[in-house]
Amino acid sequence: MPSAFQFQCLFILIFLAASKGETRYLEVRDAGEDEPFLLLSEDLKRELSAGQIYRRSLRCIDMLSIEGQFTFTADQRQLHCATFFIGEPEDLITIEYNFVNIDCQGGDFLKVFDGWILKGEKFPSSLDHPLTTSQRYVDFCESGNIQRSIRSSQNVAMIFFRIHQPGNGFTVTIKKTTNLFPCNVISQTPSGRFTMVIPHQHRNCSFSIIYPVVIKISDLILGHLNGLFLKKPSAGCAGVGDFVELLGGAGLDPSKMFPLADLCHSFHGSAQMKIGCDNTVLRMVSSGKHINRVTFEYHQLDLQETEMRKENSIEEFCFPSI
Amino acid sequence: MKIPLLVSTGILLVTLLPCQECRALSKSPAAASGALHQPDFFQQQQQQQQTLPVLLRMGEEYFLRLGNLHKRPVGSLSASSSSTSHLQPEASASNFFQAAVQQLQQLPERSPGSPEDGEAEGEAVEREKRSEEPPISLDLTFHLLREVLEMARAEQLAQQAHSNRKLMEIIGK
Repeated sequence: MPSAFQFQCLFILIFLAASKGETRYLEVRDAGEDEPFLLLSEDLKRELSAGQIYRRSLRCIDMLSIEGQFTFTADQRQLHCATFFIGEPEDLITIEYNFVNIDCQGGDFLKVFDGWILKGEKFPSSLDHPLTTSQRYVDFCESGNIQRSIRSSQNVAMIFFRIHQPGNGFTVTIKKTTNLFPCNVISQTPSGRFTMVIPHQHRNCSFSIIYPVVIKISDLILGHLNGLFLKKPSAGCAGVGDFVELLGGAGLDPSKMFPLADLCHSFHGSAQMKIGCDNTVLRMVSSGKHINRVTFEYHQLDLQETEMRKENSIEEFCFPSI
Repeated sequence: MKIPLLVSTGILLVTLLPCQECRALSKSPAAASGALHQPDFFQQQQQQQQTLPVLLRMGEEYFLRLGNLHKRPVGSLSASSSSTSHLQPEASASNFFQAAVQQLQQLPERSPGSPEDGEAEGEAVEREKRSEEPPISLDLTFHLLREVLEMARAEQLAQQAHSNRKLMEIIGK
């Protein structure tokens, strides 16, 4: 009897905790969806992974979205080079130096930047990143012997390098780790679907799509469910409380983009917007008092589209750039 | 008695007066001679000198302009390389990158030896300059960025296809 009573107490406690919404939002992908290797036995995995490290040489301007080992060797003087790294939204990029042969004293450099930076504009913006701009640069010439492995704070990173002497170069290994609650993301594709969750964190998160898109927000929860009742909506969008904003612009930095729409209240349904800007950003501002969640999908804007949806649509914004 | 008093007064003044930014000493004799009675002009001269480019390898934050915004984007050359197929020919991809790099390399190199004189000012001065300068960046258009992004995506799909093929071979054994 005492054990049955204990079991009942535990069950009630679990039920109460679940009803309070204290459970975590976790999306676990099906095993066979993107990782068929999970279905294999250990022997098969070992056989498959033997010699599976992807290798290739880097170009002066390059972009990588896969793991592997990459080598750059200068065949001539290369003064303005960069490699972009991008992963899935839930990936974090780890850059590991395997071999570096550059002449730091002779003007060569090799720097890792935590994020992307184009024309002086950074993603994530300085407002949304925990580190200062100078801290986001890790210079091999200054810290190479100390920091051989650098991990990004989001799904994008990049390196800048300059090599004067032909024959010099470096080798890096790129790995990806999982980020349970992706915050700042650049989409690899012009179409997709994503759910952004900020669980009791005082931070602002941006999802950037560097294409003109039609974006449809299907589910927005600001605050968390307490039993069957939603909490009172946050106090307005005027910089107070939690809200979601849509931004459009021609640069990479969300803090320099134009606000197109603010969403202050939770809703279930479809809110669609056509944004013809070079860059579209959905940004969630979170005070940390609530668990906030937004689900949206997007696809590339076809400028030939003439059909106008009547339900909750806003006229297109930003002049088409393509 | 007077001397210690003067010395202590001087020390107090130095510590309590607002500290101005450390400035590199101007080499201009006109500025040096006129510093006493034209401090504003001297500061302006110094500020102008501070905005000049400095050693790239010394700076943690600096702007590296790598391309001409007014030129026709290289992406137009990539029309042949961006196809609907997932696997793009290596030759057209390498041509695209060669063209992109050629455009970006048209700017003259900033001589690493020119600000050697600035090294003498001290590390503290250089750190002040770094904090004022824009961060190192790349002048790439969104069009070019999308091109390289799509190439990376194609490479990822090809790699995934290769892995799937190997998987099927292993399972088939």
